[in-house]
Parts: sequence; C-alpha cells; structure tokens
Amino acid sequence: MIAQQDFMIVSVLLFCIGLFIIVSKKNAIQILIGIELMLNAAILNLVAFGKFDRANNGGQVFALFAIVLAAATTAVALAIILNVYRRYKTINPDKINQLRD
Amino acid sequence: MIPILSHTDAQTVSFAIWAVALPFVAFALNLLLFGKSKIAALISTIAIVASLVLAVKVFLSVWNAPVIHAQTTWFIIGATKVQAGLLLNNLSVLMLLLVPVIALPVHIYSIAYMKADEGYSRYFRYLSLFCFSMLGLVVVDNLILLYAFWELVGFSSYLLIGFWFTRQSAVMANKKAFIMNRIGDIGLLTAIIILYTLFGTFDIQALFGKDGFVQLSNIAAGMWAGPHSAIPAVWQYVAFAGIFLAVAAKSAQFPLHTWLPDAMEGPTSVSALIHAATMVAAGVFLLGRVYPLFIESELTILAIVGAFTAFMAATIALTQNDLKRILAYSTISQLGFMVLAMGVGAYASSLFHLVTHAFFKCLLFLVAGIVIHQMKHIKDDSNLDIDPQNILYMGGLRKKLPLTFIATIIGALALIGLPLTSGYLSKDGILIQAFDWAESRGAIFNIIPYAALLTSWLTAFYVARLVVKVFFGEFRLHKANPHIHIHMGDGSWLYKAPLVFLAICSLFPLFSNSPIFYEDAWIYKSFLPSNFLARENLYHIIIPALVNILAVVVMYAAFAIYGKRNAWAFPQAGLLYRLSFNEWYIDRFYSRVIIKFVMWFSNLLYWFDKKVVDGVVDLFTNMGIALAKLAAWLDRNIVDGLLHLVSAVVQSIGNFARRFQGGKVQYYLYSMLLVVAVVFIFKMIF
Repeated sequence: MIAQQDFMIVSVLLFCIGLFIIVSKKNAIQILIGIELMLNAAILNLVAFGKFDRANNGGQVFALFAIVLAAATTAVALAIILNVYRRYKTINPDKINQLRD
Repeated sequence: MIPILSHTDAQTVSFAIWAVALPFVAFALNLLLFGKSKIAALISTIAIVASLVLAVKVFLSVWNAPVIHAQTTWFIIGATKVQAGLLLNNLSVLMLLLVPVIALPVHIYSIAYMKADEGYSRYFRYLSLFCFSMLGLVVVDNLILLYAFWELVGFSSYLLIGFWFTRQSAVMANKKAFIMNRIGDIGLLTAIIILYTLFGTFDIQALFGKDGFVQLSNIAAGMWAGPHSAIPAVWQYVAFAGIFLAVAAKSAQFPLHTWLPDAMEGPTSVSALIHAATMVAAGVFLLGRVYPLFIESELTILAIVGAFTAFMAATIALTQNDLKRILAYSTISQLGFMVLAMGVGAYASSLFHLVTHAFFKCLLFLVAGIVIHQMKHIKDDSNLDIDPQNILYMGGLRKKLPLTFIATIIGALALIGLPLTSGYLSKDGILIQAFDWAESRGAIFNIIPYAALLTSWLTAFYVARLVVKVFFGEFRLHKANPHIHIHMGDGSWLYKAPLVFLAICSLFPLFSNSPIFYEDAWIYKSFLPSNFLARENLYHIIIPALVNILAVVVMYAAFAIYGKRNAWAFPQAGLLYRLSFNEWYIDRFYSRVIIKFVMWFSNLLYWFDKKVVDGVVDLFTNMGIALAKLAAWLDRNIVDGLLHLVSAVVQSIGNFARRFQGGKVQYYLYSMLLVVAVVFIFKMIF
C-alpha cells in the first residue's frame, strides 16, 4: 500500500522541481512547463487527500477541475507567449522589460 | 512785522535792490548766454553803470535822512522768525555808492586791459559776481545774509586771484587767500551765533541800531546781560575775537595779512577793485556795522593791532621791489590806519579814510597796471627774461607815460597825505584823533599815535621811492639792453578816462570845501556822534604841520637817494633790511611753523585714519569674512550635509528597493519566495 506520506513526498518534489524551473529557466515555454509541474503537484495532493472523502469524491472532482483549468490556462499562456514572441522576437522573460523604469 | 513804507521809501528800496541785483543779472547772462563772447564786457559794464545810477538815487534820498529799514519774513524755524531785508543808513548807502563808483572805472579799464586775454568773458563774469556780492554785503540788514555775502565776496575774490589758474603761483595765492579768509569766516560765524544766543535776533538794526540790544546790554558781575537773558561775560570777548578775526582776514590785518601781497597774482585791475578799494574795506565796514558791540579794552586792542599792522606793512614796503607788492603793503598799512581809527573812536575818520583810500589806491593800482602792461610788451617784443613788475628795471617813464605820471603823482600825494588831496583830509583826521585819544589815557598809549605818525613818514618815503624808481632817472632796462626797441604810451581813452576820473576824485574838492581842515568834509560830518569834540587843542595845528613838513623832507630824501645818486638807502646786509625785505619773516614763520604743524597734524590724522579707523573697519571686515566663511562651512557641511545624508539614505533605500523592481519577472517570484521562506522560518522559530 502506498502511504499518504509517499504521495506528499512526490508532490513536494514535483512542486520544488516546478518552482526551480520557473525561477531558473530563461525560456517562457520552459517556465510554463514548470508551472504545469507545480499544478500537477497540487493536483496530486488533491487526489491523494481525496481518499478522506469517499462519499463525494471531492478531491478527484477538484483534480479534474484543476486539470481542465490548467489546460485552459496553458492555452491562454501559449497564446500570450506567441504574441510576445511576435512583438519582441524573443521569449526570454529577462529581455521583455519594456515597462521597466 | 513789516513796517509800512512810504511811497518814496518803497521806491528807494526797490532801487537799492535793483542796484544790487543788476550785476548778478549780468553775471547770470554772461554765464548762461555769452560764455565765450566779447559782449560779456559790455553787459557787465552796462550793469554796473545802471547800478551806479540807481545807487546815486538811493544815496541822494537816504544820505543824512532817516534810516530806511525794509524787511520781509525769510523763514520761520519753530518760534524763531528770521527776517531778511535792506538796511539803508549813511554807512550802507555810502558803501553802496562807493562800490559802483570804483567798479565802473575798473570795468572800463578792464575792457582794454584784458582785451588780449583768453578768459576775457570769464573775467567779466567773475567781476560782476564780485560786484553783486559786495553790493549785497553792504545793504543787507541781517547777520545771516551778511555772512552769506561775506563768503560770496571771499569766493569771488578767490576766483579772481586765481584767474590765471594755469600759473602755479596764482593757484597757491588764491588757496592761501581762501584759507585765511575761511579763518576769518569762522570767527564771524562764531560771533553771529553768540549774538543770536544772547539777543535772539539776527537783525542788524535791532542789534546795533540806536537803542538796540547791544547798547542796552551790559557786562556786570561776570555776566553779559542782554534785555532778555544773560550769558557769561567771556562770550562777549569771544564774540569780539570772532569779529576781530573776520576783520583781520578780510581787511588784511596782522596776523592774517599775508594773503594780500600774494593776492597780487590776479590781474592788476582786479587788485585795484578788490584788493585795494572795495573788498578789503569790507572788514572796516563790518567794524562800522557792529561798532556798538566793542567795549573800551577791545577798542584798544583794535587800535594796537591797527597801528602795528600799519607800521609793519610800511616798513616792509620800504624794501620791496615788486611794484604791486609795494602797493599791496601800502594797502595793508592804510587799512591798519582805518582799524586804528576805529579803535581810537575816530569812527567818522575811519570811514572817510576808507572812501578816500578807495579812490587813490584804485588809481595807483590802475597806473601800476599800465606800467606793468607796457613793461610786459617790451618783454614780449624783445624776448627779455625780466619780471615786468620789478621796479628796478623801470625808470624815467614820466616822459613816455605823461598822463600816467600825473595820475601817479596825484595818487601818491594822496597816499602820503599832503594837503590839497583827499588823503590829507582823512589821514590827518585819524592822526589827530589818535593823539587826542592817547592824551586822555596813560602815557603808554602814546606809542600808538607815534607809531601812526612814524608810519605816515615811512609811507612818504616808500611812495617817493616807488615814484622815483618808476618815473624818474633813466630807463634802467634800456640802459642794460640798449638795442631793445621801446614803444610805449598811455594807451587809449579806455585807459585814460578811468585815470582822470579817479585822479579828480583823489583831490580835495569832492570831499570838502576846505583843503586844510578835515572837519569840513561832508562824509566826516555825517558820521559824527553827537558828543563830538570841537577843534580845541594844539594837536590840531601841530600834527598836520609836522606830518607834512617832515613828509616833504622825507620825500626829498628819497628823491635824492634814488633819483639823483641811484643808491640804496639801506645797507642790504643789515638786520633791519633783511627783516623788511623778508616781510618780517611772518610768511616764513607761517610756512615753517604753522603750516608745518598743520601738515604734521594732518599727516598724523591721515595715519590715524589709515591705521586706526580703517584698521578697525578692516578688523570688522576680516571678522565678518571669517564669520561668513564659518557660516558657509557650516551651511555646506552641516545643514547641507544633513539634507545630503537624508537624500543619500533615501537614494540608497530606493536603489535597494528598485533592485526588486528590475522588470525581471522571475526575480519577482524569487523575492516573493524568499519573503515567504523568511516568514516561514520566523514562524518556525517564534
């Protein structure tokens, strides 16, 4: 039997990997991937803690919602990245600093 | 209060005002319109002619008539009301007449005399200014106005002495005259202030008139009491000293006489008008105006100073070689006689002598002008290096200048005081009254009349010497330079007419019916006090006889010494000769002692000013600069420093904070993570 704790460890690892990707990568797509990893960590948590709601399966339902939402946001984010790329000819977030100062 | 004047009096007053104002009008016209034009002479002369006519009218209506005193309120300070106006009495109308009578011949003479001069119109401008000042001086009724005109007279005299201002000597001379006159002015001002303090008025008539304040005042128990108040008696003496200084400066009395010989640097016609006839008489005129002020002992001082001045100047004139200088010293000597006469109470004789002296001394100066003019022509024509005023170069001019010679003889005889001339009438009057005066006092007072007597013989000698040197013998310049071309004459009628007029006025008929007795002279009679002593003692016969017989002898002696043998009368190495030739060393004493002291004192003051006064100022400046520097440092480092510190803190905080706002998206996230981590750690610890 996989213990609750193991889910959480995997989830923390996923979250941390995602966070690391977000703060360290210089490519907007990769950052998006990092965000997805963090979302998946959260969803994993939802699913793992869903066993305490056997009657309604609230955790699983929430996870499904989150997955749908994640897909939607990813679509929006990719569209934004596409537009950013058209405008700046780059998707390195450090270079996109027109609003600075 | 303005006294109501009758119609004729009002007319007389307006005539007098116009007589005074016309020369000023001429001055103003010349100054404003005819700056360089030759018309200036015409305007000045016309003004003086008109002045003369008006003065004659005023004279005829006022002479021996009641005093006319017209005044109007000049200004009011607090409760003090100062009146300004005219005081026409015998004294002032006599002077009012005398000034234009003398000034007119001088103007006419000047037209010819100054013809070639560059400053022709400037000369007439100054001359008109002088005439205005002098006429104003004699008619005003108020001590303040008197003082103002007194200063104006001194100032116009200053302008005229320094007329040829490019000459160093003329500049020195006019400076000297001005400074000496200033000393007198201070005296006059002091006296005026004292009189005002005691009597509260400047009105001459109220002060010195009949039953005026001065007559009502008396000195008792160390106080000088006027009708309203009293001040310590010492102020009376100070007032006298002030008046005396003023008189001594203006009328060239010892010890302030040294400016007059130097004043001969001016044109000769100016010397004739100002420094012989009119301006120098202003001092005597002032004595006449304030005569009631003097007490017995002060009159004695006047007599002593007058006698001493007369004697000293006569001895100096004995050995001088400059034609004008001799005449200048004789003027000082005659002014000494006038002051002496005032001192011995011969008020009438003094003023009489003033008038007669004005005529013959003016005549002598005009003659001197002609002689000097001719000598200067010779000098310029032949390029000789001589002083045209030196009588040693002259001689034998009587044939070349016949009319001038006759005029000189008349003037000289009048100056010596021989009978038939006006000088005799006035001078013997002074001598006789001096003897009368001395007799009523102690024997020691006899020195004064005897000094005067001796002076009149000395006068005879130096005048004879002058005439002989100039007009008799042979022309020494020609003898020394036989090749020079000599061409001289009396000149045009512009020269001759004034000479003839003044020569006639120097004879007795103008003044008296009788050529012998001075008591018959009309000017003399008009000034007599009521308690006049009739001719009573022996002096009245002996003195004129003695004076004249000895004067003739002295004149003959001078003629014999200088005319015949052409010798020196005095051993030139002798002490007395040197004393006389160096003018009693008075000038030298002044320059060695007084001027040196004054210069030393001025230098001391300069040093004091430079080092101490300026030093204190500099010290304050330096202190100010140091304080300012300190303040600047404080401002820059402390006040500004605080602000800079604040701004630096704000800036560094800003710099620190803006690092989080660098526009890097990931950095935002990173910092947010950090904060969350920190909060988390804090939560865990506490």
